[in-house]
Amino acid sequence: MPATEHTQPAPDQSAAVAAMPDFEPTIVAFVCNWCTYTAADLAGTARMVQSPNVRLVRMMCTGMVDPKYVLKALLSGADAVLVSGCHPGDCHYINGNYKARRRIKLLKEILTGFGVDERRLKLTWVGASEGNEFAETVNHMVAEVRELGPSDARTMMAI
Amino acid sequence: MKTTYAALVVGAGVAGIRAALDLAETGQKVALVDRKPHLGGLLTQLDYQFPTNACGMCKMLPLTERDSSSQFCMRKGLFHKNIDMFLSTELTGLDGDPGQFTAFLRQGSSFVDPTKCIGCGACSAVCPVRVPSEFNAGLTERAAVHLPVPHNIPNSYVVDLDHCIRCWRCHETCPTEAIDFQFNRRATFHTLLASAEPGLAESAAEWIKDLLFPFAAETAPEAALEQIAQDEHLAMLLLDLDLPGLEPERFLARALELKPELVVVLLAGPQHAELAGKLKAAGARLVLDKPLKPKAAVPVLDKTFLRAASEKRLELSVAAVVLATGFDTYTPCPESFGADTLGYKVLPGVVTSVEFERMLSGSGPGRDRLTRPGDGKPVRRVAWLQCVGSRDLGKGVGYCSSICCMISIKEALLARQMLKDENGEPAAATIFSMDMRTFGRDYQRYRDSAEEEAGVRFVKSRIHTAMPSPDDPGALRLRYMDESGELKEEDTDLLVLAVGARPPKDLPALARAAQVELNEHGFLRTRHFDPSRTTRLGVFAAGSAGAPRDIAESLIAAGAAAMEASRLINIYAPLKEKVAEPEPEYRDVGREAPKVLVALCTSCPVLESAVDMEALIARLQSQPAVIAVARIDAGCTAPGWEKIAELAREKRPNRILLGACMPYAYVPKLRELGAALGLNPAFMDVADVYTPAMTAAREENPDRTALGREVFATLNMALARLVRADTLRQRSAAPVYRQALVVGGGLAGMTAAVGIADHGYPVTIVESEEALGGAAMRLRTTLEGRDPQRYMADLVEQVEKHPNITVRTDSRVVLSMGKAGAFSTVVYGRDGVATLEHGTTILATGGREAKVYDYGFRVHPATLTQVELEQRLASGELDAGALGSVAMIQCWRSREEGRNYCSRICCAGALKNLHTLLRKNPGIKVFVFYRDIMSYGFMEQFYTEARRLGAIFIRYDLENRPQVAFDNGKPRITARDPVLGEDIQISPDILVLSTGVEPNDVEELAEQFGVPLTEDGFYREAEPKWRPVDFLKYGVFMAGLARAPGNMGEHVASAKAAAERALRILSGERLDAGNVVAEVRHSLCSLCGRCIDVCPYGARRMDLDEDRIEVDAILCQGCGSCTAVCPNSAAVLKGFDDAQVMGSIDAALEELA
Repeated sequence: MPATEHTQPAPDQSAAVAAMPDFEPTIVAFVCNWCTYTAADLAGTARMVQSPNVRLVRMMCTGMVDPKYVLKALLSGADAVLVSGCHPGDCHYINGNYKARRRIKLLKEILTGFGVDERRLKLTWVGASEGNEFAETVNHMVAEVRELGPSDARTMMAI
Repeated sequence: MKTTYAALVVGAGVAGIRAALDLAETGQKVALVDRKPHLGGLLTQLDYQFPTNACGMCKMLPLTERDSSSQFCMRKGLFHKNIDMFLSTELTGLDGDPGQFTAFLRQGSSFVDPTKCIGCGACSAVCPVRVPSEFNAGLTERAAVHLPVPHNIPNSYVVDLDHCIRCWRCHETCPTEAIDFQFNRRATFHTLLASAEPGLAESAAEWIKDLLFPFAAETAPEAALEQIAQDEHLAMLLLDLDLPGLEPERFLARALELKPELVVVLLAGPQHAELAGKLKAAGARLVLDKPLKPKAAVPVLDKTFLRAASEKRLELSVAAVVLATGFDTYTPCPESFGADTLGYKVLPGVVTSVEFERMLSGSGPGRDRLTRPGDGKPVRRVAWLQCVGSRDLGKGVGYCSSICCMISIKEALLARQMLKDENGEPAAATIFSMDMRTFGRDYQRYRDSAEEEAGVRFVKSRIHTAMPSPDDPGALRLRYMDESGELKEEDTDLLVLAVGARPPKDLPALARAAQVELNEHGFLRTRHFDPSRTTRLGVFAAGSAGAPRDIAESLIAAGAAAMEASRLINIYAPLKEKVAEPEPEYRDVGREAPKVLVALCTSCPVLESAVDMEALIARLQSQPAVIAVARIDAGCTAPGWEKIAELAREKRPNRILLGACMPYAYVPKLRELGAALGLNPAFMDVADVYTPAMTAAREENPDRTALGREVFATLNMALARLVRADTLRQRSAAPVYRQALVVGGGLAGMTAAVGIADHGYPVTIVESEEALGGAAMRLRTTLEGRDPQRYMADLVEQVEKHPNITVRTDSRVVLSMGKAGAFSTVVYGRDGVATLEHGTTILATGGREAKVYDYGFRVHPATLTQVELEQRLASGELDAGALGSVAMIQCWRSREEGRNYCSRICCAGALKNLHTLLRKNPGIKVFVFYRDIMSYGFMEQFYTEARRLGAIFIRYDLENRPQVAFDNGKPRITARDPVLGEDIQISPDILVLSTGVEPNDVEELAEQFGVPLTEDGFYREAEPKWRPVDFLKYGVFMAGLARAPGNMGEHVASAKAAAERALRILSGERLDAGNVVAEVRHSLCSLCGRCIDVCPYGARRMDLDEDRIEVDAILCQGCGSCTAVCPNSAAVLKGFDDAQVMGSIDAALEELA
């Protein structure tokens, strides 16, 4: 297995950034089958330049994204988590995206309580035709997380 | 070679798709064709649709037996095992009789082999041609070889031969040799010139040599015919009409008799124009003007060759044909710069509504284009002008396009939402219109909220001039006259022309081919009370083929056409029994240790060039569950599949992972492979490894390490899921009681009942009144002068005599239980109590003319409703000749809170009565007080005619509604005339109120069936656009006036559409669930019941006998809401259980840990 940048926990974030000027964050994205997965695919097939830092986890609906999946991703080394589904009112399953909205809001509060920057968890609505929107969302998030530096959630939340 | 299908659907827009899916779901094989190289029609270009301002097309997908079709975004494509799609294909002829048609199709070639095209776009990049892109409505340019719709699957390129300059660069560039210009065929494309013109043969031989066609010439007709008969490779004939001794018609007929495929090119001077036209109709392919100019003729002949050599002719044997031809949008003609086009294509800020939609679209030229085209400043003001190319007799369009008002409101809402300045202030949105036709059930509220909540401004006026603003050169100055006649001016940044719907340009040709008639507006002529029927038996109209319609109504029309087609199929080509395909025998591998075969498709060079394949394969092989990693050449082709199957037989894996492109496209193939190997397709997966590779291939300096990581992660995540895939228990299937219950015996209920009963299923109609018929029985005539009484009498007779229909009048439903396929309903009535077992329910409980008692109504005899007036005029009780003046007030107590919907039929009702009055007594004075005249569609001409006949229409708004008083029983109306700007008084002999319609009171019934109502008491559909006759509760459908107001034809359509939906349930012995459904691990379940509350489909219930939670696999749609809410992880979604999701998260991050 190749050596990677952050097998050692960074003692402090600013130092980490300084030490790794070309730090490439990894983002785990939980996307719904109907809207954002399609948009991500469109972003790919339409050859919109898209950051290779995203790992797509296809879910049937954002309403099934259990908070434990988000925590798992953060604890396993993801620098940020994106949850993205259909626009409000457009959910294939009627109201799953509203469920996700409530859940993510609470989860953010909890994560902040544990010292995780809330910018490391993002919920967006990206419709099936909005490939550019998806590319923008991801690129923007990558830039933001690059600023934040690698996540130290694994060490902070050592249980 | 003739292929047999149950039905042919022409037009693969949403209506065609709906009709095809409806039939396919009942087990019928359907051929779906479209003349365009993509499916989806106009909606591929529109991202947002009213009234939800979102898409949601996927909601059309089948709800049961879901695995028979692709379950993903329908904008990308559609795969259903019973639907075969033929794109770039036209219907050229339709022979035979209903039930036994032979359809002739011509399938054009895209010149790109879709099995070879990898969508890399290299061809497009080298193509020197640039033409306006149809997909982006001309806002961007495309090459001649292009992707018609960037998000379609399969995304193979097509060559637009019309614009191709034959440089063949794409052919030379294509890395997979997918582009075929038939170079090999030229040597056998023998060409014959029949001409006696001196020198022509020599010069023709010279330039045809360039085309590489073997060439010969004859100077006499007989010799030419002989040559045609003898030369077996002769493919093209250049026929000079000046040939001495030529009898053109006979000659052509004989030539085509000898060689039906012969390409006949006529060489005609101007004097032969008429003859050439005649010969073209008789089968000649092309006319070239004499004298011949090689520069022009050579490309034309070459393209003719390319088409002739590449196109395919197909013959289908079909029982029924559905035409879903849709409409074109009007293009304001740029040449006639004037008042009507307002400088379209001349002034930079003037765009059509389609162009505006593309500007807003996520797949359009980009939202940054939403700047003023003139000077690039941000757009802060947008104006819409309605009725561009509709309701315009000057342009020969006497009809209303029905949809543009709602489209403009939607666009205004989107503009307010999307175009915000740095302070978040939305752009100003103003709609200029004559009437705002919001005649759909919930559309008035949509309009009101646009005005009141979103701040859209509505102006009753027609802009007559647009010009560059003198104060701000990048802006437009609009001039219009307001209602009082005052000239107004204002500036805007964009002017959107709300262009109307026109019949498709090639509809006349299609109509000739299908032998159906067109109406005077150029759409298909349909029957008045039966809008799905055309003039030819067995050929049905769906969607907007008969008249422009919005999505919901198009789909209703499609459902109705599908029902008619299904009825015919059932008579002539009955599906013996919808034999549930034998479930392939699958090995039980869930308990075995996972053994995964990984196959990487290497058909496209990009992957191998972008990724270190050896390292990738080594990494994969080091994964514990992987037993073999193989490279497969051309995984998407038949030999590639055979290779995979072979490998699988050899290695005996119990999981297969394919690394390829476009996972969507593999769904049907996995099914086949699974059947061949005895391995459930749920243990197979396709991971898209090409998208990242393709993206990288385009970059200057791709990061190979990052890319390798990404590709590995993608495969590893899929692997993690597969390894943890669990044994699938036998897919659930529920038995079906193959009978239907229809509640309501009016027009809609009876129509639906006959539709179902004609398919051989028993139907019970429960009617609360003593006789069948309902509200339609009160009508005496229609606006178009038809006889509703006779139609209703025929229908009642048909129902009463139908062997499969039981009618229970004077009865009502007391109790209903159960679910799709198995309802149990108790009916109480004159005949006592009965319990009915049925698989499906249609609620068609109807409505009535609204009762309004204020302003002396029902006290003063001079005040009538429109229906009362109609009846009295018909019975002679009221003598039109004795009346001097009549006043009508429209929207009486409707379209305002309390009853804030348009009743849709009152404007037609008023026009109908008005025409009757004027016909009987041309001297009568008729005053109509209105807010917006809703004479949508072809009804518009009756409105125009009424004004021509002298009826006076006076607009009012809610602030200044007409006041009614009575002088000795004679009404006196005081109203403000907006044109004069002052109050007027009228004392008519009678006052007629358009009170509108309201649904019958069905709260109790709705509760019994567990279905919701709107705030106005109509049935609430599952989805206002895509599931217009479905309830969210599967198995219960709605039809008629109880669903929404409408005229008789519209109710017949919704009834047939509901019947078609019901037939989907009745057509099989059992209902099959999908693969992705929720389950309960009972040992972990604490019976808290949260999953029951959270399930949007009511698929979960507490089984009190067993003391456990049960999931109805038929109702479950696999959203997984229950899994997230379950505190004990007892709720599990198949294919997405915790182990799989957690495993794939780990796999995603494997390298980082």
